[in-house]
Amino acid sequence: MKYDVCIIGSGAGGAPIAYELSNAGFHVVVLEKGNHYREEDFSKDELAVSRRDMFTPLLKEEQHIINERNKDGSITRYEGSEYDWSFWNGSMVGGSSNLMSGFFHRMKPNDFRLKSVYGEIKGANVVDWPISYEDLEPYYAKVEKIIGVSGVVTKHKFAEPRSSLEFPYPALEVNGVTKWFDASCKILGFESIHTPRAILSQGALGRSGCSYSNFCGSYGCATGAKGSASAALLQKCKAKIVPEAFVYKLQSDATKIISAHYYDKDLKSHAIEARIFVVAAQAIESSRLLLNSKNKYFPNGIANNNGQVGKNLIFSAGGVGEGRFHFDSLTKTQQEELMQPGLFLNRSLQDWYEYKDADKSYKGGTIDFLFEHANIISRAKREFYDANGNIMWGTALQKKIHKTLTTSRVLTFEVFNDWLPTDYCNVSVDKKLQDKYGVPVGVINLYGHPHDLKVGSFLAEKAKKVLENMGAKEISASISASPPPNLVAGGCRFANDARNSVLDVNCKAHELDNLYVTDASFMPTGGSVPYTWTIYANSFRVADHIVKKL
Amino acid sequence: MSGGKLFGAVSPLQTIELVQQDLFPSTSNVPTTNDINAYAYLVTILHHSRVSDSHKAFIRNGVQWLNEESIKMYKKTYMQLLSQERQNVLKNIAKYRWGENWIDTILTYIFEAMLGDPIYGGNKNQAGWKWLHHKGGNPRPTKALV
Ligand SMILES: Cc1cc2nc3c(=O)[nH]c(=O)nc-3n(C[C@H](O)[C@H](O)[C@H](O)COP(=O)(O)OP(=O)(O)OC[C@H]3O[C@@H](n4cnc5c(N)ncnc54)[C@H](O)[C@@H]3O)c2cc1C
Ligand code: SF4
Repeated sequence: MKYDVCIIGSGAGGAPIAYELSNAGFHVVVLEKGNHYREEDFSKDELAVSRRDMFTPLLKEEQHIINERNKDGSITRYEGSEYDWSFWNGSMVGGSSNLMSGFFHRMKPNDFRLKSVYGEIKGANVVDWPISYEDLEPYYAKVEKIIGVSGVVTKHKFAEPRSSLEFPYPALEVNGVTKWFDASCKILGFESIHTPRAILSQGALGRSGCSYSNFCGSYGCATGAKGSASAALLQKCKAKIVPEAFVYKLQSDATKIISAHYYDKDLKSHAIEARIFVVAAQAIESSRLLLNSKNKYFPNGIANNNGQVGKNLIFSAGGVGEGRFHFDSLTKTQQEELMQPGLFLNRSLQDWYEYKDADKSYKGGTIDFLFEHANIISRAKREFYDANGNIMWGTALQKKIHKTLTTSRVLTFEVFNDWLPTDYCNVSVDKKLQDKYGVPVGVINLYGHPHDLKVGSFLAEKAKKVLENMGAKEISASISASPPPNLVAGGCRFANDARNSVLDVNCKAHELDNLYVTDASFMPTGGSVPYTWTIYANSFRVADHIVKKL
Repeated sequence: MSGGKLFGAVSPLQTIELVQQDLFPSTSNVPTTNDINAYAYLVTILHHSRVSDSHKAFIRNGVQWLNEESIKMYKKTYMQLLSQERQNVLKNIAKYRWGENWIDTILTYIFEAMLGDPIYGGNKNQAGWKWLHHKGGNPRPTKALV
């Protein structure tokens, strides 16, 4: 059978296409390398999920090579399996969107025109997007309704324009500490923003409301409240899903993809024919698949005759920080508020989305505040060392862990700012090392522009001020150029000019008539927010285009 | 398992069991050895489908290195030492990078046993969670991943 559309990868980038096209009556097949889990399969098993990483491939079977660029320009090569360095996020139907925390922010109008607004930055390939915020706004609004975004629209200096007044779903319940946060922001003159979440607070859309399970990020959602690609889209459409199908090659002639080839779990090869192919294997793996699909028409990989596939890989720059609240400085009521499990803090700051420092204008970013993850084993583990960094054991360790975990709690923050695209940060494939399927592994060439650290550190200082004002102790931040593997984009830029991009404005490959890439690979710059709302929105936009084309 | 041959009839696992008790002794109001079931849990880890062979080898090799240190200090294997002597050996190996990592690893699996879901055989009656006033998340797993 020849399908109308074949989608590779079932996550946030692929699922909107499956949903829209199959609901429009087309025959759609989704090839997904991971297992097919449903709500009833998800549990809060810290050992399986967080300690044994059950949702990602074993590194000895599938890994990446990571080339880190040193200050002197030399490269240090790491084999992922040897260094236990994983860039996998969620190999499963619905992809890593199953495991996200659902902190949802739209990009802002100026994020679409970084170069025109803020100018060139030496050593960075900053460009404007070929579409504007206004082009994407209707799709951001669509995501709110279909994926389910809950919250309260907060008016603030950098609030982006919206076509609707409010979020379609009411905000989640918040922890008692949220009012401490709001009070501190008021004193400091900061604008506390209610964080929009891709989580339903009440039953809607044929899904249940959030149960405040206390184990959200990194865990699958057993209620369906989280707006994963699986719960929100794939379960709501008739697209055929083939799990445990690892696509290793796309076959083409000079202008069209003819078939996608995959190995099933027994390593048997199958081919799927379709009129249109959509690659959404998450940035890095999408570039890898194109680079590994060489033939006489595309000797350097599909859609890569101008050498752009894999270029300008980006991550979310920034980092994390935290402060600890101790019982001894709190009233009984405050202690109870602090220890309330499950409820969210749900606050963000965007006061410095743009800022001036020493008279220079900078593009800044977003700070999300949240409680330290509830994982009890990780929280106990971080107490293994004393103040001098020496390992402890015995009754001294028992006492320390008991006191820390029962009479204090950590509030953390995450800083998101632009990871500037550069010539040094990109994806290639290795000449020697192969995965368990016999396919060359992806190589991640890493480099963080020094500008990213400057902005990240500026934002972290502001976040620390809030924690300080709230009365937290042991406040710290870690801003670094080490990439968050779960927030990755770029590699197949979209642009009008085919000479320096892979995709056109509709995310169709310039060099082929029927190949689209709809995960975050298309993004030339990432905005200073986590990406998933934008990935979903863009994928809905491309779906509209494909429907018209078919 | 090698080790055993070098140091008489004692298997590396018996030594690890003693190390576990030395690192996490019985103390009042703290989960008991039986509640934690750390030894059985470590055996599971040594056969776990998702723990790398090199990590499993590190756990086993650590026993040999521990005994080498013990013989250097007291001319006896770890199992033959008095409690205070064993603490001194642990303090000494903690100064080496491998030793610190090894202690961290053994401790980690004690805490995994004590604070993981009871379905894994440790954390009996949620003793570990109760000790730290922790509520496990729902839904709980119905099958252990081994
Ligand atoms: C713990 C965690 C927390 C997060 N929190 C947030 C958050 O709060 N806010 C936010 O905006 N984002 C968050 N994210 C990020 C978010 O999950 C991703 O941005 C989003 O899922 C990316 O969509 P995608 O389609 O590119 O990739 P995915 O959703 O990962 O989907 C890609 C799919 O492709 C499959 N695949 C890969 N290669 C192949 C192949 N060769 N053949 C077949 N299938 C293949 C994969 O198995 C996967 O299922 C979080 C992620 C994680 C892991
Ligand atoms: S029920 Fe709520 S808290 Fe739990 S995983 Fe789902 S969305 Fe997250």
